[in-house]
Amino acid sequence: MREIFTLKLFFLLMLTCSSRSLYAQGYAVSGTVTDVTGRTLAGVLLVMDSLGQVGKSKADGSFLFERLPPEKYLLTARSVGFKDQQIKLQVKDQAISIRIVMEASVQHIEEVLIEDGIPKRKREESLNLDIVNHQYVQKYLGGSLMKSLERLPGISTIGIGSGQSKPLIRGMGFNRVVVFEHGLKHEGQQWGVDHGLEIDQFAAGEIEVIKGAASFMYGSDAIGGVIDVKPELLPQGERLAGSVNMIGKSNSNLYGGSVNLGGETGKWLYNARLTSLNYGDYRTPTDSVYVYSYAVPLHKQQVRNTAGRELNYHFNAGFQDDRFRSVLSLSSTFNKSGFFANAHGLEPRRVDTGLHDKSSRDILLPNQQVRHLKLTNQTSYQMGIHDIAMNFGFQHNFRQEHSQYVNHGYMPPTYPDTMSTSPILERQYEKEVYALNVKDSFILGKHRWTVGANTEYQQNTIGGWGFLVPEFNQSTFGLFVYDKYTLRDNLILHGALRYDYTRLNAFEYRDWFPSETGENTDPERLLRAEDMTRRFNSLVWSAGVNYNPDDFTVKLNMGKSFRVPIAKELAASGVNYHYFAYEQGDATLSPEESYQVDLGLGWSRERWSVQVSPFYNYFTNYIFLNPTARFDHFYGAGNQVFQYAESSVARYGGELQIKYNFWRDMSTEVLGEYLHARQLSGSKKGFTLPFSPPPSVLLNLSWTPSGSPGLDGSYLSVDYLIKGTQNNIVPPEKKTEGYSVVNLQAGFYLRMGGHTAQVSIQAQNLLNKKYLDHTSFYRLIELPEAGRNIVLSLKVPFNLI
Amino acid sequence: MKLKTANLSVKGNAFFGFFAIILLLFGACSKDAETIDDEPPVIDISAADAFPVQCSTVKRGETFTFKAKLSDNVRLGAVSVDIHHNFDHHTHSTEVNDCGLEPVKVPVNPFLFIKSYAIAGAQTIYETDIQIDVPADVDPGDYHFMIMVTDEEGWSAMRGLSIKIV
Repeated sequence: MREIFTLKLFFLLMLTCSSRSLYAQGYAVSGTVTDVTGRTLAGVLLVMDSLGQVGKSKADGSFLFERLPPEKYLLTARSVGFKDQQIKLQVKDQAISIRIVMEASVQHIEEVLIEDGIPKRKREESLNLDIVNHQYVQKYLGGSLMKSLERLPGISTIGIGSGQSKPLIRGMGFNRVVVFEHGLKHEGQQWGVDHGLEIDQFAAGEIEVIKGAASFMYGSDAIGGVIDVKPELLPQGERLAGSVNMIGKSNSNLYGGSVNLGGETGKWLYNARLTSLNYGDYRTPTDSVYVYSYAVPLHKQQVRNTAGRELNYHFNAGFQDDRFRSVLSLSSTFNKSGFFANAHGLEPRRVDTGLHDKSSRDILLPNQQVRHLKLTNQTSYQMGIHDIAMNFGFQHNFRQEHSQYVNHGYMPPTYPDTMSTSPILERQYEKEVYALNVKDSFILGKHRWTVGANTEYQQNTIGGWGFLVPEFNQSTFGLFVYDKYTLRDNLILHGALRYDYTRLNAFEYRDWFPSETGENTDPERLLRAEDMTRRFNSLVWSAGVNYNPDDFTVKLNMGKSFRVPIAKELAASGVNYHYFAYEQGDATLSPEESYQVDLGLGWSRERWSVQVSPFYNYFTNYIFLNPTARFDHFYGAGNQVFQYAESSVARYGGELQIKYNFWRDMSTEVLGEYLHARQLSGSKKGFTLPFSPPPSVLLNLSWTPSGSPGLDGSYLSVDYLIKGTQNNIVPPEKKTEGYSVVNLQAGFYLRMGGHTAQVSIQAQNLLNKKYLDHTSFYRLIELPEAGRNIVLSLKVPFNLI
Repeated sequence: MKLKTANLSVKGNAFFGFFAIILLLFGACSKDAETIDDEPPVIDISAADAFPVQCSTVKRGETFTFKAKLSDNVRLGAVSVDIHHNFDHHTHSTEVNDCGLEPVKVPVNPFLFIKSYAIAGAQTIYETDIQIDVPADVDPGDYHFMIMVTDEEGWSAMRGLSIKIV
């Protein structure tokens, strides 16, 4: 109802006929953009939706889209400081001229929350998709990007302390989830259970989460899902603008902030951001934890040595005209954080409590630090019916894990002075990645074709006195073609085919110390990895349909996905002493293959919206680290043999989202997720897969007053999260009891002089509940999750010019 | 009017149709009759003749017998023994108490014993009877005696005992 009102009041849609601009392939749509007073507006972003064509209004407010095939279109006009305007167009047999009137957004300086309703992108994508923007991140701000997204049904995390976590999409994580940033695959050390994700959540624009396999578009590793982090929108209009974001958290005594500043001069865009966070040990509602039977008292309920620091910077510069856009981005993230001092992995550690408890903010041993540097260029060019995009990127990931030297296994009792490696540098991983993606989208009749190629080369080196993964380099090349066929206004078919080639060279590694190798043989330095080369070819496909009759959205997608085994799975033979595990790779592993069917059903009315998204997934050969019954007292130094193995796996589950606006500004929401996985073959036949999240339901009650002056954009909302008990486990996991937590969110706009500040408050785990999270890194040593945490964040946008 | 009603009922049918499909999807796959073994094995050192236990002492130049009762609900896999020094106090035992540590010292010739033994046959209870020689020339002091046991499914249990070599 309100939409129609807005349309009537603010859109002046003037259709004038002219046969002048008649083109062979279509007709022109032109016009001017003004504000309500009639003043012309320059630099307004214009998106012709079904084509994906993007334009901007010129200095006199005029714009032009050429050669549009006769069809229905949705034109979106967007500009900072104004509400998005959408105009339905129908190109028939002549050119169209329109006038767009932009309504200023008084309070809503940022875009409107996308979580309401079902955006068009979602209706036209046959994969299961959730889209959130930075407002959502602000509202549910967690210790890391993934923690902030965890509320979405189907998303969970492997949390490592309070500042880091890695994504789990429908129970798939590690190298089975692709994180995309600036149009390129983010490459860190995804395989490690205690490694976080090197992404600055404050620099994220829109975030798309694809639940389910999407290899055809994103290549290997996208077998479980994709998190596509779009860059934040660069400021538009001839001005210099930015925002200051200040954050405080009570649980870990975190303080920090993020500042950005950017502008536009002529056709040039620029933006810079700096984020700095500093946090202490996080607190858990218990006075002591038990490492096996040994009681470890916690000083002031602080999880000893889990403090951390984060420092990130970003620079973006771009050029944009009517057809060409190129943005160069340089970013660096740095994170240093401690591990719980009393148990490193499963290994009990004696600590000097006096030293550790002196300060809750220092980072002692063991700890980890990661620096991730990323240089990307995103260029797009519009040429007739073609939209050509090229992304280039360089990434440098440098990770160090520090720990006191302990002579595990056959390692010498004292660390030799002759070693060039520092005695506290246990592991070091360095990765350099070069990537180039090229893509062309073009319209042929009702078909929108996308053809593209992806190439990547990465080089990995290792350091430190511990060994898990050999050095390796890897080249990948992929080609794909995707057709989106709009059969009718509400019926879209999708088809895609992709070919990938991967070559992996792993390099020899020999222990730096001698081990015993038999009863009557001399000790020798063991060969932990051999030189090897593997080549993999994969052909995958995907087919889908979207049918959107009236209030319904129906989507169905099926496809084949793949994942190339990683060097650790193929070549390693190292001892993970902290887990008492001797991890043996298997050089004969084939690429993982998976078949998946995804269904998405949505129904939305004025007050209701319901979405159900069940899926079924079959892996012919899921690769996992299988704990065997054996020990190895030579290569394994007496530890249990964990061997990479393949088994066929069936998984099914789904998510449910119901939203009901039951009275005026009051609404309620139910989010549910369920997952079941079972191995159908191999030595763990009948078992589930590791890191299976338990079923969960989230009940929400929200109050979003509108219409009353001063309260516009405010919200008060309470989440009641119920997690089920997880009894489906696989060695070496433990069953985890269910629990429930209450989280509160509130936000409002505050006028401060000439500025409007956005205030967001959260009370996470309001009742200070003590519980264990089944997929947390610290689950196996029974370390409870963080207690009550009050999060306060203040965001103040400003204009300098 | 007639048209409108028809339209509504189509919508209603479609709506319930969706849920029917979902129920079918879930129903078709939820046949988990198979039971799996999710119990780890147990290391029992509570018997009177169990050795070593927390704070036991062994002598250099002598042989002692490692005696513990291992059990599993289905079938035991293997047992591993690891004796290493704790002169630097880096780690502690898995047990409730410690046994009064000697001052930190630099190891010269610490005793190191790493060995594993497969448990043959389909046994659910196994009593270890393993002879361990402690050489006369090793450093005396605080040691850890680690026992690890697996069952055939790959579940494991661990005890890390503090012992002294004198």
